[in-house]
Amino acid sequence: MAQKELKVAFFLAWRSLVRGNRSSVLLNILIIGMVFTNMMFFPSLMAGIGVDIKDQIVSYQTSNIMIGPASGEQYITDIETTLAKINRLPGVERATPHYQTGATLQSRGRLIPATIGAIQPREEQYVSPLHTTMIAGSYLGESDVGEAIIGVSLAGSPNIREEDEVRPSLGGVRVGDSIQVEYPNGVEKEYRLKGIFQTGNFEMDNRMIVSWEDMQDVVGEPLTFAPYITVRVKPGYSESFVKNEILRYGVREQVQTTDDLLNKEIGRVMASFSIIGFISMIVSLVIAVVVLFIVVMVKTINNRRQIGILKAIGVEQSVIMNSYGFQVVLLSIAGILVGFLFTGLIVLYMTYYPMVTPEFSATPYVTPLDLAVNGIILFLASVISGYLPAWKVSRENIRQVLQA
Amino acid sequence: MIEIKNLIKTFGRGQAEVKALDGVSLEIEKGEFVGIMGPSGSGKTTLLHLLGLLDDPSSGTIRIDGIDVCRLTDWERTMFRLYKLGYVFQDYALVPELTVKENICLPAMLRRDREEKEYTAATRDILHSIGLWERRDHLQSELSGGQQQRVAIARAIVNTPDILFADEPCANLDTENSRMVLELFRKINRERGQTIVMVSHEDWHTEYFDRVVRLKDGKLVNGAAQAAAEPKAAALKENAMGNPLNYSGMGIGIEADGS
Repeated sequence: MAQKELKVAFFLAWRSLVRGNRSSVLLNILIIGMVFTNMMFFPSLMAGIGVDIKDQIVSYQTSNIMIGPASGEQYITDIETTLAKINRLPGVERATPHYQTGATLQSRGRLIPATIGAIQPREEQYVSPLHTTMIAGSYLGESDVGEAIIGVSLAGSPNIREEDEVRPSLGGVRVGDSIQVEYPNGVEKEYRLKGIFQTGNFEMDNRMIVSWEDMQDVVGEPLTFAPYITVRVKPGYSESFVKNEILRYGVREQVQTTDDLLNKEIGRVMASFSIIGFISMIVSLVIAVVVLFIVVMVKTINNRRQIGILKAIGVEQSVIMNSYGFQVVLLSIAGILVGFLFTGLIVLYMTYYPMVTPEFSATPYVTPLDLAVNGIILFLASVISGYLPAWKVSRENIRQVLQA
Repeated sequence: MIEIKNLIKTFGRGQAEVKALDGVSLEIEKGEFVGIMGPSGSGKTTLLHLLGLLDDPSSGTIRIDGIDVCRLTDWERTMFRLYKLGYVFQDYALVPELTVKENICLPAMLRRDREEKEYTAATRDILHSIGLWERRDHLQSELSGGQQQRVAIARAIVNTPDILFADEPCANLDTENSRMVLELFRKINRERGQTIVMVSHEDWHTEYFDRVVRLKDGKLVNGAAQAAAEPKAAALKENAMGNPLNYSGMGIGIEADGS
């Protein structure tokens, strides 16, 4: 098709949109915009949940790399040497040990089981943002003994009755309160509550954390062993690179990146999220195709006589078809831009007011690639669904369409 | 210029078959202003549609400038309509989203042998001649019926077609506007030597026609050849007509035998 014909087709399309029924044009743009938003929203929310879960796990549980005991071992032994070796490796920000045990906590007349973790508070700051999540009191000091910090869920609320709680808590303990702890080895110890943290991570917010030094008292011997070590990777380095470095330097323990762990633990969940997101996108796309097909079909049927007139005065079928095609192209572009705007506003809103559940706090996760891919898919679907009815009507017999 | 032989057009099949045209033969010379008249259902519009390449005959031949137009492909017919024919419809058939000026120059915009400057100038001249220059930027909805029909005529002649077809162009107009439109047709016919074939059912329109072709039940009643009418074409300048089938700029060539 020559440039002249395309120019005329575009001219007719533009005039029809600008001077035609404005409410119909705006409605079409709105429909496409909403369809695009729908295509983006659910999958991006699913992705956001996935990202949030991963982020929480990386931040508060595994960091970028988790080193566990070698096969058949219960602990990583001689952690001093192991940590020194790992901390020297390129790409390692910091490695720190973790110890955890179950215990029974007693306070305000409540007796509940909980997990107690031991950390090296100073080192932990390089690996986890736990110290930034204190909502009351303060973070642990390196040599704090007899003091502990606990998660907000474990601390509980004085306004919720024990029988109404989904998960048992200490009923609203406050900073300065004392908590009696009974360890599995029979050690009983009283802790003063130094601070309360809120990470948003379900597991973490139900934990009590004490210092490494304190746990040595409980265990009754120097803690030169640990069930696992977490490693934070420096920005610009990949987890797999650092993992390979660790293995290359002779660390014989089990070394796993976040992805290795996530694939095992929540891989299926993430795959399910992807499938749900994909189905949602396909449904939205089908709706868009059907709506646009109907819109253009109605438009072409209403304009059948005019199409006949245009053919009668010598306008080629391809020019007529392209004029409708251009209309759909312009409507799609405008609709997709409106969709970008809606999606942006939703993301902005949910950044400030995320969807919060005990398990995660989700904000839609949208990347420029997602926007581009969905935009292109919707654009192509719109153009095809718009061209079909235009092609069908524009090739009808002139006499028949003139009599329409 | 136009030569029709034994033209038959039927609609429907079997018992529902209707013969809209039944063996019509007709000749129209260059520069003639021919009126096709007859009662409703006599086949006037069908004949005009066939002559204007808007429909195919069931049988018979139509030759325009020696070309058997029934043998043209769809695309060639479209090009033939664009380069050689002009149409005026009963209900004006303007594009409502285009201004007067845009409506008029639309067919010219598609011609590959015409530059923007040329068709803009042609549109301006036509607008002046039909007295609508002042309303060139108005939309169809802002015009009276008579003005709309004048715009439709202007659109039909902007490409200086060899033949102008008009299908009851005054059907929706009052007498005053009808006369204005007919005067415009007469002016175009006389000044440009424009061949015009017009369908009408108003007897008083005959005063404008050089010849009246009457149809009844799909058959020609009278006016088959120019001999029956007042000769006029000879008085017109030959060079006022479009060149015989010059498809310059279209990239195709159609020989006089239609091949």
